[in-house]
Amino acid sequence: MKRRNFVRVGAALLAIGISMPALTAGAFAQDAPTEITMLTMGNKPTNGRLEAMLEKLNELLVAKVNAKLDLFYIEWADWQTQYNVQLLSGDDNVDLVATATDWLYAWENAEKGAFLPLSEEMLQANAPKTWAQVQADGHWDLTKLADGKIYFAPEDNYTQYTNHGFFYRGDWAKEAGFENGEITKFEDFTKYFEWVKANKPDAYPWDVAGANEAALTGYIQGHTDFQTLQGISAGNYIPFHTTAANPYTVTSWYMEGDALVEAAKLAKQWNDIGVWREDALNYDGDTREELYAGLSGVEQHHTQTFVNDIVNNMNTKQPGSDPKFFYWGQENGNFFKDIFTHGAMAVSAYSKNPEKALQVYDLIRNDKEIYDLFNFGIKDVDYVITADGKLGYPEGYDSSTMALGTDYWWGRTDEFELPRTKQAPNRAEIIAALDARAKDYPYSTLIVNKQNIDSTLAAMAGVLSEYIPQLQYGKFEDPAAAVAEMRQKLKDVGYEDARASIQADMDAWKAARGL
Amino acid sequence: MSGTDTSRGPKSIWRQLADSKVLLLMCVPAIIFFIVFNYMPLPGAWIAFTNFNYRDGIFGSPFVGFKNFEFLIKSGQLWTLTRNTILYNLAFIVLGNILQIAIAIMLNEVRLAWFKKLSQAAMFLPFFISSVLVGVIAFNLLNYDTGALNALIKQTGGDPIKIYSSAGAWPLIIIMVHLWQSTGYGSIVYFAAIMGIDRSLYEAATVDGASAWQRIRFVTLPSLKPTFIILVLFALGGIMHGNFGLFWNLVGNNAALFQTTDIIETSVYRMVLSQNNFTTSTAVGLYQSLFGFALVMTANWIVRRINKDYALF
Repeated sequence: MKRRNFVRVGAALLAIGISMPALTAGAFAQDAPTEITMLTMGNKPTNGRLEAMLEKLNELLVAKVNAKLDLFYIEWADWQTQYNVQLLSGDDNVDLVATATDWLYAWENAEKGAFLPLSEEMLQANAPKTWAQVQADGHWDLTKLADGKIYFAPEDNYTQYTNHGFFYRGDWAKEAGFENGEITKFEDFTKYFEWVKANKPDAYPWDVAGANEAALTGYIQGHTDFQTLQGISAGNYIPFHTTAANPYTVTSWYMEGDALVEAAKLAKQWNDIGVWREDALNYDGDTREELYAGLSGVEQHHTQTFVNDIVNNMNTKQPGSDPKFFYWGQENGNFFKDIFTHGAMAVSAYSKNPEKALQVYDLIRNDKEIYDLFNFGIKDVDYVITADGKLGYPEGYDSSTMALGTDYWWGRTDEFELPRTKQAPNRAEIIAALDARAKDYPYSTLIVNKQNIDSTLAAMAGVLSEYIPQLQYGKFEDPAAAVAEMRQKLKDVGYEDARASIQADMDAWKAARGL
Repeated sequence: MSGTDTSRGPKSIWRQLADSKVLLLMCVPAIIFFIVFNYMPLPGAWIAFTNFNYRDGIFGSPFVGFKNFEFLIKSGQLWTLTRNTILYNLAFIVLGNILQIAIAIMLNEVRLAWFKKLSQAAMFLPFFISSVLVGVIAFNLLNYDTGALNALIKQTGGDPIKIYSSAGAWPLIIIMVHLWQSTGYGSIVYFAAIMGIDRSLYEAATVDGASAWQRIRFVTLPSLKPTFIILVLFALGGIMHGNFGLFWNLVGNNAALFQTTDIIETSVYRMVLSQNNFTTSTAVGLYQSLFGFALVMTANWIVRRINKDYALF
C-alpha cells in the first residue's frame, strides 16, 4: 500500500513537474501569432525551399514580434491584370503589398484607395528603422500623393539599373562585321539582324512575344531628348514626356515630332526582313529560353537582368557567345538612374493588422539575420558564402529547379547584399559606366492630380493599345499615315485637355521650387 | 394548370403559389442563381455614371453623368462593337440553327445504329474542348512561320498567307470554329424534338406515297417550327452577348484584327483588365444589357403579333 501511495505521489509530482513549464509559459504567453500575408510578384515556387525557409523565418518572427509571414504570389501570366484585380477585390487577407510607381501602378492604386495612408507616428512606432533611414535620406516625399500622406516605403537604399536595352551575342556581331562584336547604334541592329537571318537559319534575329513597344522606345530614346514622366499611365503606356531642352513643358512623343514615324519605319523594315515571327502578337513563348538555346539573336530587358542572369546563363549554355548589352539612350546619354520607387512596400487598406505588418516589414528590411534568410534562404542549403566572400550556391545547385523564389524587390539594402558568383564578373564596371552617364530623374516629387483626367487616360489607353503594337511590329503598310491617324484619335479623346491639366501641375510644382 | 381549375373567378396569388409549391421548389435553385448573379449586382451599374475610386466605393464616388459614354460614341467604338457583336451572333444563330436542323434530320434518317452513334459522338466532342485549347490549336494551324497550313502551302511551292494580319479572314474563321464547336451539341435538341413527333404522321405520309424528302418537307420541318422559334427567341436575347472565350483565345491582343473581331465582351475585358478602366467598361456593359433587353422585348412582341402561342411571354 505504502509503496503504491509513494508511486502515486511520485507520479503526481512528476506530472505537475512536466506541466509546470507549460503552465507558466501559458500564463505569460502572448496571443497567438498574427498571420501576415505579403503580396509579391512571381511564380509560386513548388520545390519546398520557400516553405522550409518560411518555417525558420517564422520562428524568428514569432520570437521578435509575435507574427508569422506567408506569401501570396501574383504570377507572371497576365500579371498587370492580375495585380490590379487583386487590389480591386479588397481582399482582407493581404496585409503587405509589393508595389512600384513605374511598373506596378502604385500611384493609380494609391489614388483608388487600395493602400493604407501611413502616418508618421505609425511608421515611427512600428517601422522605426525604415522610418529613420528613409527620413535621413529625405525620401518620404517620393511616396506622397497630393493629400500629403505617405502611401508606401521606397526601396531607396539599393543600387540597381533597370534601364532597358538589347542583349545580343558578341560572337555573332563580330562575324556580322562589328568591331569587337560591339553594336553602338540602335539602327545598326538592322545589319546584325540581317546577318542572323542569312547565317542562322534556325534562329529568329529577335524572337519576341506579345504586345510591347521596345522597338519604338529604343529608337526614340536614343534619337531625341524626350524624357518620360513616370506615374501617369494610360493602360500599359506612359504617354507624357518633357524634353531636356524644355524640361517644364509637358508634351508626348506619341503626339509630337518625327521620331515615332522614323522608329515605326525602321520597325517596318525589320518586319519585312523577318526579324521577329510574323505572328509575334499572338505568340506567347519563353523568348529568354530561346536566347539561351541559341534560337534568338536578341532579347530585350534591363541591366539588372543582364548582370544577374544573362551573362552567366549565356556563358554556360552558349559558351563563347560573348553576351553584350546595348541600352536605350546609349548613343546620346538620354537615360536615367533608377527612381527610388522602382520597388516599394505598401500596406493594404483592408489589412486587419497594419501595425503588425509594418513591424514584419521593418525586420525583413533591416534585420540582417531575417534579411539573409528571406532573400537568400537557408545557409549551406540554398546558398553558400565562398572563400572570397561571394554569395554562391552549393554543389549541384540548379537555379531553374531549386530557386528560393521570394522575389523580394521591395526594400533591399546595399549593406546586406553580397557580390554573387553567378553575377557578371564585370558587374562593377558596368554599373560604374552607367553611373558616370545616367541622368537623375528630375520629377520625383512632381505629383499629378489625375482625378479629372482618369477617363481621358483610359480612353487614350484604348487608342494606344490599338496602334502601338502594330507600329512596334511594323504591321502598317504606311506607318506615317497610321501615326497621323492615331494622333487624330488621341486628340479626339481629349489628349490636349489631359496635357493641359498635367502642365498646370507641372507649373505649380516648378513655381513651388523656384525653378 | 389553369386547365384543371374548375372554381369560378381568379384564384388569389397565394393560392396559386400554394398549388404549385412542388414546381416552385424545383425552380428555387434557378431563382437563387438569377437573384445572386443577375439581380443583386444590378445596383453596381451605377459605376457607369461615376468617376470610380476604391476608397469612396460605388456609391460614394463622384457622379459624372454620361461622361463615360461620351468617349465610346465619339471614338465610333460603340458602333463597331455593336455591329460586330450583332453580325457574329446573327451568323451563329442563322447558320447554327440551319446546320443543327440539317444534322438532326440526317441523323434521324441514318439507319445504321453504330454509324449514328459514332457520328453523333464525333460531332458532340468539340463542344467539350476548352476554348483555350482551341486558340492554341488555331495558332498552330494558322500561324505564318510554323503553322501547319502554311507549311503545307510552302511544301507545295506556294506563298504562305499572313492570316494573323488579315482582318478580313477572321469572321470566316471564327464562325467556322464556332459552328464546329456548337453544332453537334445544338443538334441534340432538334433530334429530341424529331423523336417526339407523332410516328403516325410519318406512317400516314408513307401510305400516301410521300418520298423521304417529302416526309421531311411536310412532316418533320413543320413539327420543328415551335422548337425553332423558341430557340431563336432565346438566342436573340443573347444577341448582344458574344462567345468571349472563343474570341479572346483566337484573337487575344492582336490589334490588327480588332476591326472585324472586337466584340463587346472582349473590349470590356481589355478595358477593365489591361487599362484598369472600370467606369467605361461598365458603361459598355450597361449599354449592352439595355440594348439586349430592348431587342428581346421587340422580338417577343413581333412573335406575339404573328402567333401568340409561340411568344415567350
